[in-house]
Amino acid sequence: MTTVHTDPILDGPVDRIPGETDLIEAAMRWHFDPQTGSRFWLGQADTLGFDPREDIHTVDDLARFPNIVDRLRYVPAGDLIPRGYAVQDGAVQDGAVQNGAVYGVYDSGGTTGPPKHVVFMMDWMERLLVRTDQEMDERHYPAAADWLALAPSGPHMYGAFVRETVRRRGRLGFTVDVDPRWVKKCIAAGRGEQASQYAEHVVAQARAVLETQDIAVLIATPPLLERLVRDEELRKLIADRVQVIEWGGAHMDPDTRYLLRTEVFPRARMVGRYGSTMILASAVERAGLAPDDPCIYDPFSPYITFRVVDPETGEPVPYGSRGRVVMNHVSKSAFLPNNLERDEATRIEPPPGQAGDSVADVAPVAVFGDSLVIEGVY
Amino acid sequence: MTAESPSAAPPTDGSAELIGLDALGPTGTYRSRNRLPITDLAGVPLAELSLVPSLYVHRAIAALRAAEPLPAGDRLAALARAGEAFATETVGGLSVDEYSHAVSRISGMPIPVVRRATEGTWRALLGAGRNARQARPRASVDDWHDPATLGGRAVWTRRGEVFAVHAAGNHPGVHALWPQALALGYRVAVRPSRREPLTAHRLITALRAAGFGPDQVAFLPTDHTVADEIISAADLAMVYGGDDVVTKYGADPTVLVQGPGRSKILLAGEDWHRHLDTLVDSVGDEGGTACVNATAVFTDTDPDGLAAALAERLGAIPTLPPEDDRAVLPCQPSGPAAALERFLLDRAAGTTPRLGGAGITDPVPGGGVALRPAVFQVDRADAAQTGIELGFPCVWVAPWSPADGIGPLRHSLVLTALTHDEGLVDRLVAEPTISNVYVGDHPTYWMRPDVPHDGYLGEFLMRTKTVLRD
Repeated sequence: MTTVHTDPILDGPVDRIPGETDLIEAAMRWHFDPQTGSRFWLGQADTLGFDPREDIHTVDDLARFPNIVDRLRYVPAGDLIPRGYAVQDGAVQDGAVQNGAVYGVYDSGGTTGPPKHVVFMMDWMERLLVRTDQEMDERHYPAAADWLALAPSGPHMYGAFVRETVRRRGRLGFTVDVDPRWVKKCIAAGRGEQASQYAEHVVAQARAVLETQDIAVLIATPPLLERLVRDEELRKLIADRVQVIEWGGAHMDPDTRYLLRTEVFPRARMVGRYGSTMILASAVERAGLAPDDPCIYDPFSPYITFRVVDPETGEPVPYGSRGRVVMNHVSKSAFLPNNLERDEATRIEPPPGQAGDSVADVAPVAVFGDSLVIEGVY
Repeated sequence: MTAESPSAAPPTDGSAELIGLDALGPTGTYRSRNRLPITDLAGVPLAELSLVPSLYVHRAIAALRAAEPLPAGDRLAALARAGEAFATETVGGLSVDEYSHAVSRISGMPIPVVRRATEGTWRALLGAGRNARQARPRASVDDWHDPATLGGRAVWTRRGEVFAVHAAGNHPGVHALWPQALALGYRVAVRPSRREPLTAHRLITALRAAGFGPDQVAFLPTDHTVADEIISAADLAMVYGGDDVVTKYGADPTVLVQGPGRSKILLAGEDWHRHLDTLVDSVGDEGGTACVNATAVFTDTDPDGLAAALAERLGAIPTLPPEDDRAVLPCQPSGPAAALERFLLDRAAGTTPRLGGAGITDPVPGGGVALRPAVFQVDRADAAQTGIELGFPCVWVAPWSPADGIGPLRHSLVLTALTHDEGLVDRLVAEPTISNVYVGDHPTYWMRPDVPHDGYLGEFLMRTKTVLRD
């Protein structure tokens, strides 16, 4: 007989969010059961020194897992798919997967080395889109409107996510592709001028759309937004017409955010998004924040959870203090625990019912100002 | 920019007594959320510098570019008024004495040097129009309305509208030069050095009070990641820095690099005994912090005796805190000073120490250390050390003979030549990498605003074009 593994909690209705402990315990049973877990995680099980199905119950417990994300640079990505997605014909078939269960395979940005590969399953995309829909309703995104996204397609998941979002709640989704890997390569090689030319190339394509189409939702990175508004005509066009400007993919300092919200786009709503390939999702800016409030992100808990820790000790910093962000993704589709990101953030008390922390004012780990110059008089 | 600056907000962390160095942008003062504490030699915060993001920089420079310059006469009058206020009045809540004291405590510059620089900046602002025009080709006129253009004539015009300055923090006197750009009708954006942002803030505050509107001159502190944006956003820029900055911008025709000074003195056929005062002053005046301080002395007679005499005279300078009226030596926080000391002693390996061979740092009351003079002797004219320029009285003494030629003397901002050999002077004056030649008993730091310092600034800022009219 042909059966597909299901789990009452992991496969619950998309609009019903399980509790923290229920989700994590169900996920441990799923990912560490030889019948349903992935080749990758089952291969790790013996090295952990604890039994996830017995010992892991909460978000805090996830800190016991090693940070495995570096291994995602070279493991066959198919090994990440839980066996439970396979059609079962009595015996377990490694690598088999039910038709239509995979949405896609995507890469991290490759900032810190070769890219990491992750697998995005259909059921997770569905949950994410339902949640995103609610978030956008709460933030009064216009319905059935035309969008313009200056965002990466290619190996990154963000372009696909935007496409699905527009299909679900927009009308036309205009896109201009952005290749962040090339930009990073140019900058790392000291070819800032080439990176700048590339940004102008993207801006020129965006201008062509903005000048002729009625764009109500604009998605861009902070550096591209800055480029767009250097031209006063283009700034005015966006400020007069676009209702929601969603930014993400890079950090925005509080001074820039304040200027954009007050002077540059006094009428449009600006919404920040803090994502990571390693959580297969992004956290949206809390609704109702004033321009001078910290930019707080609440993740899609308990699937996506954050902790803000002292990187030396791994212990949580007090609320209101800065620390490094640790991210977890726990779902039927994937298990990516305890990933110490390179970002710093302020630890914020979560809204009621949310597991883990909220984070605010995310920024790259502080870079000190002008390095000490010894020789010379200047 | 119409955004309400949050500068009205009361300080939250007991920083009430800090000197607030807000950005000065196109709609006035701007206190950013990202502020850098500016500390004194002991590490005690004395001021707080608002660092602006790139978005602010680009919008500020766009506003400068969109503005019309003031009429020429108004510009010169405002420069003169600003100079007087800068040097004699309370500006931004700081009296001249409070300003000088704060600069000496933050930068470690001896306070007499700060005071002299203040006087010098006043004179430079008074003369900015006249001094800037020294660069004008004699065949050209200032304005197309000049009757000379009726028959066709060269007119001296700006190469752009917005001039950006990456200021240096080694000496407050660096701010005496760029106001010439205002005199010529440029709108100017200054990015101060975080080592000493007070002087630029004071000067621009005074310029604004004197009539240059917020769309004429701006004070835009940034962290280093945004620094390049000011240069790329402006039409022309001037940047102070070492060899790295020369490498980065040297080939860019829109950037004027103020690179290393590496000023030198040559004694050829002259007895050093008669010139010892000039030699000592060239090394140690201005605390040895200026690009015009002598880095190396070359002599064709008795380098041993000369090095010993320099060591004796420079060694007698007392260690004093920088705010002392008698201070001569610059001071630094102990951390950077220790790094500088290691760098010097490492590079000096293989040379003969005459002074400072065991170290150059000496603690001063109130925190930090004085950088005591150093004299090292090398055994050949082309020793690499003669190009090592450091921000305190540090001199390399080298032997020289006519057979060495002028090769070892190249790459000098100032070359003082104590010689009667006219053929040698011919070659020094003709040498493109030597910017200024002083023949005879003149210290390397001699300057007058109407002669070029490293070429005239006007050579870079201006061009000629033909205007022919009926």
